[in-house]
Amino acid sequence: MRIVYHLIVLYLTVHFLWYLAREKKFWKQAGIVLVLIMFLLRLFLVE
Amino acid sequence: MTGTETMSLNRFVRAALLFALTVLVCVLSGREFLSMRAADAIYPSPGLTAARALSDYFPALKGTPGDTPVYVYAGPKDGGNVLVIGGAHPNEPAGFVTAVVLAENIRAVRGKVVIVPRANASGFTHSDPQEGSPQRFPIATASGERWFRLGSRVTNPIHQWPDPTIYVTPTGQTLAGIEARNLNRAYPGKAGGNLTEKVAYGIMELIKKERIDLGIDLHESAPEYPVINAIVFHENSADLAATAQMELQAEGFEFRLEASPPNLRGLSHREWGDAAGIRAILMETPNASHGRLKGKPSIGLIIDGKDKFYEKAARLGRLFVPFGPDGIPLRDRVARHLAGLRAILAGLTELDPGKAVEVEDLPTADRVRVEGIGAFLR
Amino acid sequence: MPEYLILLLMVGVFIVLAVPLKLPMGFAIALSALAGALAGGQGFALRHLVEGAFGFFDIILIIASAMIFMKVLQESGILDSLVAVLLKTFYRNKVLLLLAVMLLVMFPGMITGSSLAAVLSTGPLVAPVLMKLGLPRLKTAAFVAMGAILGMIAPPVNILVMIMGGGVDMPYAGLTLPLLIIVVPLAVIIALGLGLKDLKAVSADEMKALLPESVFEKNGVRLYLPLLLVLALMILQNLNVPLIRDLGLPAIFFIGSLSGLFCGRPFNFIKATQKAVEEAMPILSILAGVGMFIQVMTLTGARGWAVMTFLSLPPALLYASIGVSLPLFGGVSAFGSASVLGVPFLLALINKNALITSSALSAIVGIGDLMPPAAMAARFSAQVVGERSFFKVLRYCLVPALLLLAMGIGVLLLAPLLDKVI
Ligand SMILES: [Zn+2]
Repeated sequence: MRIVYHLIVLYLTVHFLWYLAREKKFWKQAGIVLVLIMFLLRLFLVE
Repeated sequence: MTGTETMSLNRFVRAALLFALTVLVCVLSGREFLSMRAADAIYPSPGLTAARALSDYFPALKGTPGDTPVYVYAGPKDGGNVLVIGGAHPNEPAGFVTAVVLAENIRAVRGKVVIVPRANASGFTHSDPQEGSPQRFPIATASGERWFRLGSRVTNPIHQWPDPTIYVTPTGQTLAGIEARNLNRAYPGKAGGNLTEKVAYGIMELIKKERIDLGIDLHESAPEYPVINAIVFHENSADLAATAQMELQAEGFEFRLEASPPNLRGLSHREWGDAAGIRAILMETPNASHGRLKGKPSIGLIIDGKDKFYEKAARLGRLFVPFGPDGIPLRDRVARHLAGLRAILAGLTELDPGKAVEVEDLPTADRVRVEGIGAFLR
Repeated sequence: MPEYLILLLMVGVFIVLAVPLKLPMGFAIALSALAGALAGGQGFALRHLVEGAFGFFDIILIIASAMIFMKVLQESGILDSLVAVLLKTFYRNKVLLLLAVMLLVMFPGMITGSSLAAVLSTGPLVAPVLMKLGLPRLKTAAFVAMGAILGMIAPPVNILVMIMGGGVDMPYAGLTLPLLIIVVPLAVIIALGLGLKDLKAVSADEMKALLPESVFEKNGVRLYLPLLLVLALMILQNLNVPLIRDLGLPAIFFIGSLSGLFCGRPFNFIKATQKAVEEAMPILSILAGVGMFIQVMTLTGARGWAVMTFLSLPPALLYASIGVSLPLFGGVSAFGSASVLGVPFLLALINKNALITSSALSAIVGIGDLMPPAAMAARFSAQVVGERSFFKVLRYCLVPALLLLAMGIGVLLLAPLLDKVI
């Protein structure tokens, strides 16, 4: 199940990155960063 | 270059910069998170007769973050076998530190003492979110400061993930999902279960293979929690708990006696007794640093145990222990655990001489209170 | 700096950033947390900020996957088709319709203990039915939000009680009756109260005109699959079925979403995900920010100050304190409120039957799901009916929420009496 969840996190991380690149408003981009930090740390098994 | 293109360029540049910032935050905070993966050193006393790992009793734990050191102190004379567990909840420092003090000092004369100082090793590798705890705390010793990690109540989600929506313990109790990572809800464990259940299973295997007669689980609880300064006992150990309590009272230590509720499953004092048939006891000392009323969760709070909000709560009659301006320092809590251990071992000798366990160089509560914990650490 | 000043500063910074400067709420909360850390002498406290956010990582994962599931139901035409089925079944009797629809909204909350699961799985299904039969949009949203909260409180699974019980060593058993006593009357009153006046029973011809475009003919019963799969997996995980019990809500929603690919009209899964991520992002970053905020509150002692302030009110004010602080803190997180405040209150009421008091406290905590800044139930039910501002929805939640509060406090007061009856 850990693998499944890793895939889910990976899938969402890619979408967050894509959305970060697409979004035009700076503050909205900044909001994505808050969430992205967590997903990257979990993806790389840090926290 | 048209206006729209400039704007979209800016957008990508901004995205790249923000991504770089994200990575920077990940690296900086990640370094701090990862710093908790390295285990603190424990230097067992010369009385040690065997250093093992939990995976020696349950090989499936080998190489997992659930594996943890097991120290065996066997005496020359035959007697009973006692298991002492610390760090089942790594956010309860007195339990863990008492087990370390024990491991670094004792020598068995009769019978055998088996010590697992970090029962939930994975729990030591992270902190409870939103509790704001420091990652480690120092204890001054003759050879300098020794730092110990203050971990989380539960297994690291990196090691066991995801939590189920609701957790059903191996014995059928329904709990909130996060409790799937609580070692003291996972007994008697499951060989094929999650990591925490495997650790619990490993401890049950240890109990079987070391032919343990009495298990003692060292904990702390928040001062607003009723089961505190307490000996929680399985019904098969009621006599032992009562004998120990009388002994402790004579020494000036007030301990509550709490019978293990039969309908509360998965806890050590219940399942060790039910599943392995051994005498089972759990002790609680008061720890303000993991309570809900605490002020700043500083290193000072862990070591000195002073907290103005708990002081106020005590005045309002909200607590189950006295809590004055001097707080309840770690030193006193470790001393209390040591006094409890001594009284329980004496009680065992009295009630069941064939299973007697005698140890030398067990630091006395008085000396720990006067000289400090550090005097008994290498 | 004293704790209350730090808290005041954090709230002040948040308001200035969010209102005059119009920063997105999530980032404003995160910055106010940072300000609190600095004022508390903790420096940037980066580790603490990130660690605090992780307190909501699991919920963030649930929201993201549930939002994808919702988008899939829409894009594949499944939602419209199911709405058509519901309309055809219930258009004649509005009392029956309202009660059935209330149960349908509550159901996912009952089996997962999560109001979010309810709003985002059956919420989108019932909302169009109610609106097509004449219930105004905002009332529909309030209906969905209240149903979701009642579902979260209703048995068999009430995670709020589990959290509070865990703090006082109370096993999760014997709660069905006290929880039903609280939920059933409210579910009936709120469903009829919100709906009876505006909803109109229609003739068969009128009903046919209301039917949304259905892809039923093309796809047949397969259309039921994604929703049934999600509900079935939710039930099975509760029955402790091996493998399924470890799935967790995010995986269940993903399975449901993927099955949607084969059950309705074709659509682009990647694009649907992108839309879902875009819509979910504001609340995801709010949760991350709120996690940081709570961690800094704890770190600076402001959380302890807040808990102690509520606990140290004179006994006469205890119930008022419960009624105010539990929902207020619930606006940050209902689960957090249950753990941080619910447990001390449960201990303060320890001379009463804990099964009854914890049930009542959970009902009061549930109101927190309507409170800003997170306002999970209100926010997503607004989204379900296509309303941008959840504050407008709150207006219609006011009376139902007060009923819930009154019920909670009433059960607390009557606990000794109920104890004898149960
Ligand atoms: Zn404990």
